Formats: sequence, C-alpha cells, structure tokens
Amino acid sequence: MNIEDAAQTTQAYYCLDCGVCTGSCPVSRVMPSFSPRIIVEKALLGLGDELLRDRDLWSCLTCSRCFERCPSSIDFPEFMRLLRAEAMKLGTQPAYSHHGMLQTIMELQTQGITQKKTDWAREAGKVAEKGDTFFFVGCMPYFQVIFRYLGVDSISVSKNIIKILNGAGIEPVVSDDEHCCGHDMLWNGQVETFEKLASHNLEVIRASGAKRVVFNCPEGFYTFKRHYTEHFGDLGFEIIHFYDLVAQMLEEGSIRVENGVGPITYHDPCRLGRMAKIYDGPREILTKLAGDNFVEMERNRENALCCGTSGWANCSTVSKQIQVERLKEAEATGAKTLITACQKCQIHLTCALSNLEMDLELKDLTSLLAEAITDS
Amino acid sequence: MTRELLDLMGIDNNRLALEWVSSAEGGRFAEVVTSFTQKIKDLGKNPLGVAA
Repeated sequence: MNIEDAAQTTQAYYCLDCGVCTGSCPVSRVMPSFSPRIIVEKALLGLGDELLRDRDLWSCLTCSRCFERCPSSIDFPEFMRLLRAEAMKLGTQPAYSHHGMLQTIMELQTQGITQKKTDWAREAGKVAEKGDTFFFVGCMPYFQVIFRYLGVDSISVSKNIIKILNGAGIEPVVSDDEHCCGHDMLWNGQVETFEKLASHNLEVIRASGAKRVVFNCPEGFYTFKRHYTEHFGDLGFEIIHFYDLVAQMLEEGSIRVENGVGPITYHDPCRLGRMAKIYDGPREILTKLAGDNFVEMERNRENALCCGTSGWANCSTVSKQIQVERLKEAEATGAKTLITACQKCQIHLTCALSNLEMDLELKDLTSLLAEAITDS
Repeated sequence: MTRELLDLMGIDNNRLALEWVSSAEGGRFAEVVTSFTQKIKDLGKNPLGVAA
C-alpha cells in the first residue's frame, strides 16, 4: 500500500496539525526529534521518500495513545504499520533487539519445521488433541528460554492457565503445530511472513475442531481479533481473552478465589487496553483478589504508559527512560507489587527494574490469580 | 540457550557446535571442521531441507 492509500485508510488526511499526538507520545517526551505530527505532515507533503528511509519509523511504540486522543481519529499506529511495510520494500530496517533472534525464530516457523514445544503443558495438567477449546500459547516456550536470565518465568503463566482451565472442567487443546501469531512480523513491516504464519495457524485451529480459542497474550488476541479478520475474513471460531473468561467463571462460581493480596497496582498493556478495549476484565479479577488494596496508577486505562518497546525492535535509552518512569509511577502508589498482563511488559519492565533499587515486585496477573484460587 | 531453542523448533541440537581454536592451531582447526562436517553428513538433511 503506498503512502497515499495509507493516509486514506487511516484518515491521516484529516490531520488538523494540532499536535495532540506528539504531546501525548511517550517517545516524543524523551526524544523530541521524534514527532508523530511531523511524520503525518511529511507524508501529506509528499516527502514520503525521506520518511521511508528513516529508521525512526520503528521508534514508534505503536502504543496507540495518540490515536486515543486524536480529535480526527487518525489511526496513527496503523499508519506507521503501513509505512513500515513500504519502508521494508526499500530496504529500511529496524534495529532488531536481541540480535534479531526472535525474528529468526518466526521466520524459521514458516519453513516447515516441526516444533516440540508443548511438553510443559502435559506436565501442568490435562490437555487434549481435539476439543472445543483451543489454548493459543504463543511465544511463551521461547520466552522461557530466552529471558530466563532476567528471572522471568513465562511458561509458568501458561502452566497456570492450564491448571485454572482444568479446575473449571476444561481440557484445552495445545498444539506443537501452532506458530507465532505473526504480530511482531506484521508490526515490523513483514506482511508476507505474517500471512504465512497466520494462515497456518488458522488451518491448525480449524483442524482441531475448536469452537473457541483462548488467549492469554494480548498481542495474539488483538492480532486475531483485528488483523486475522482483516486478512482472512471470518475466522469460523470464537476468540476470547483469558481474563474475560476468568471474570465469567468467577461470576458463575466455577472458580473461587481468596481475597487477601496487596497492596498492588496494575499496568494496562497497550494491545489489551487501548487496542482490544479490555480494561474491566483484569480489574474485576484484581478487585476480587485485593479489594481496597488494589490501587490505580496516575496514568491508567486509556492513558496508561507503554512498557517502552515493541516488536523486538529499536529498544534504546528512550525505552529505558519510559520504563523507569512507569516503575516510579507504580512505586508512588504505595503498592509493593506491580501486576502485568502481558509477558512482554513483564520482560521489559523486569529488565529496567534489574538496574534500579526499588522496593517493587513484578508479577503476572495469571500467576497472582493461580495462587489465590481455592478448591472449595 | 541456542541448543534449547533448537530443541523447541524440532531441530536436532547436535547440528550446533561451538569451539574455540586459536590462530596458532591450524591442525586442530582442520580436525574440528572435518569431524563436524562428517557428523553433519551422518545426520543427513535437516528438517528445513535445502536452505533458500
């Protein structure tokens, strides 16, 4: 899609030049040379070539805070995504984090490998090969290996989900054939790889006979919800985020929890919050678990600050400053634990916290929930 | 770590070797490369087939 079409699709033509986007942008705050307003302006003035050769296209976190506040409802994250795909064609690339290891894994998945990544699931509980509910695990087995050095235990989150689902009488399908959802490839500008990963996943899920797919990863959920349907039409199955399912199960009484954690605060992931508009599910769980001990940070829900980097690209001192700012905000609430709902947020904030002396613990919401579930 | 990642991807991690050879050790270099080449030949084609 050329820049003109991208501007059309995302309504960038309606730009009023008001600058609310740049004023809201967490990147612009610490790196004033980056400005969403100027990016839109350049595109509209026909300076596309200059734009498409700029590696700062990947400095945008695509966190959607600008889109949330834009008076003309310009979908700036989507605009960036479309520009990146164009820039990639010209050979402009992001600075890949972790030596591009994660992108390599995603590329390899499109080359016909047979993965062995579900042993943990059988250890955790009962899983099935075919059934009504498919649990889309995502990158957790890989994160477990890659980010172990930070002390992040990603697979325990997936294990806890199996335990919680089993406790509610559900035996989910997990599959070795499941590929990466393609989120990062899509946001990196590699649409073709995304489509390969996505069409494979759709085949695998359809072959399992599943009627609904449960996601814990906000990126996976949002990618299926928006981009799979945009690229492939009707999915033929229902998708649900784990926290919404848990909120339902709590209401029905199929799981019970003890109240008694805290004080805690909660970090909204951008894909789950601003993009998928899931703000209340996690909060219902947090309130059940902590009651009045659950406190909000100054910037929450649609105003939440991003975890500082996305798509495993362009992680920089800017990312670090944003992360430190967020951690200080959490500390200022008086909470001792910052709850995250996305393993990437967990990884990024843990990385920043490891260089700080701060009396704050990071914990995943699923793990917190698993500890609070009672048998009766 | 790379070995563990290869395992997850279903690629035999015997296909990976990491050796330190000093520039003064020509003989050892030849030995390491020859034996690793032989090992890969014995293992046959990898699941990815011919690299693009």
